[in-house]
Amino acid sequence: MKLKTLSFALAATGAMSLGAVALTGAPALAATQSYQATLAPLNHATASGTLMLTLNGDQATVTEHVTGLAASFNNAPYPHVQHIHINGQGACPTTAADVNKDGVINTTEGQPAYGPIGATLSTTGPTTPAAAAVLTVAPSGPSIDYTRTITLDASTISAIQANKAVIVVHGLDPATLSTQAQGEKSDLVPSLPLAATSPALCGVLAVSQMSTVPTGAAGTGAGGTSGLQDAGLFVIGGSLLAAGVVLFGARRHATTRS
Amino acid sequence: MSDGMRSRSSLDAQHSPPQPSRAAAGSLYEPTPSTTTTITTRRAAAGTPASGTSPTTSGGLSASPPVAISIPSIGVHSALIRLGLNPDGSAEVPASFHVAGWYERSVSPGHIGPAIILGHVDSKSGPGIFYRLGALHPGDRVAVTRADGITATFRITAVRSYSKQRFPTIDVYGNTPAPTIRLITCGGAFDQATGHYLANVIAFGQLAASP
Repeated sequence: MKLKTLSFALAATGAMSLGAVALTGAPALAATQSYQATLAPLNHATASGTLMLTLNGDQATVTEHVTGLAASFNNAPYPHVQHIHINGQGACPTTAADVNKDGVINTTEGQPAYGPIGATLSTTGPTTPAAAAVLTVAPSGPSIDYTRTITLDASTISAIQANKAVIVVHGLDPATLSTQAQGEKSDLVPSLPLAATSPALCGVLAVSQMSTVPTGAAGTGAGGTSGLQDAGLFVIGGSLLAAGVVLFGARRHATTRS
Repeated sequence: MSDGMRSRSSLDAQHSPPQPSRAAAGSLYEPTPSTTTTITTRRAAAGTPASGTSPTTSGGLSASPPVAISIPSIGVHSALIRLGLNPDGSAEVPASFHVAGWYERSVSPGHIGPAIILGHVDSKSGPGIFYRLGALHPGDRVAVTRADGITATFRITAVRSYSKQRFPTIDVYGNTPAPTIRLITCGGAFDQATGHYLANVIAFGQLAASP
């Protein structure tokens, strides 16, 4: 009996302190917390997008929507490798990061701002840094609609909680590069052109004001008034609505009536 | 009630829930001088009851769950139940068609960030609590009574309809630099095959004035 009381007390304490834990950035393994990033173009890309990440223990559910990326590469859908970069300055690079002044912030030049790769947002298979440049499991084409739940390692989780995580989506249209840059090889994969691996989109992961962002739309209708056969319905509906409103305090009543 | 509902089928003009007009599209956020200087993105303990000693966050109220909502311009007066998540990660909707609910993992209304309120547009047999949500206009008022006794009053800034296929997650659930509210219901065409509407009608509002 005493044990039971104790566990209740612990549970209550845990619930009360969740907010505080999230605020201090300490690992909050029992809590779910969402993060969001608005993805802005780098290197003259014209793409844009958003990404939501909800962390539950070491499981991260990522939902991402991007449009406007380079569409094709060698007559195939353009692969856009994408990563969670960690432990840089928790920022996206500015044009000042273009050390060699070729007009492109390549992946290496961007690293002081966003840091090394913590996880790869691949479509299937491994999500470790080792999978960072595997083009076959990268989202491809001009748009990305990506949803995947992946396992994150401790350092990536800590970086996200410390506001030191940045989303980077790679792959530029070579035609948008300077003549100099068009002739350069990738700083990551020398067999590829520079455009293929350079950053196109970047966004800092910020903690969401709501603890868990719901996925997608809401099912808030059952169709009973869709295409109804009556202008007078409004009146009937209105009075029913009013009745429902009056009775809102007695939920059971309203429920049995509907 | 069911008798009244059935009688509708014998009437002859077509009627569906009001949908937002283009003129109501408005803006999702209207910066005001007092809230544009500092953007607070840190989350307070959303969903946990106010302790009574919790400080008021700059530009917004402390956390306190809402208990009732009133939208006089469309005749809505409802208690607010608390809503969590469905197993698929989407937001729960109220079991009753006649009561609205607060998504308890969003911020308390009046706290900095988006407070999410959901209500049904209809049941299988008639109008729901948010039947007329699409008839709201920018400037309309929404009053939310909180458990701490404070009423947070929001001003509608936009009313829009979004395809569920292209639900704008960041616009609806993303961080906002001031206290905001999002009232969500269903709209658009009804898919008889799935039993669901194809769109969500969402009214966006922001705190009208600091209490």
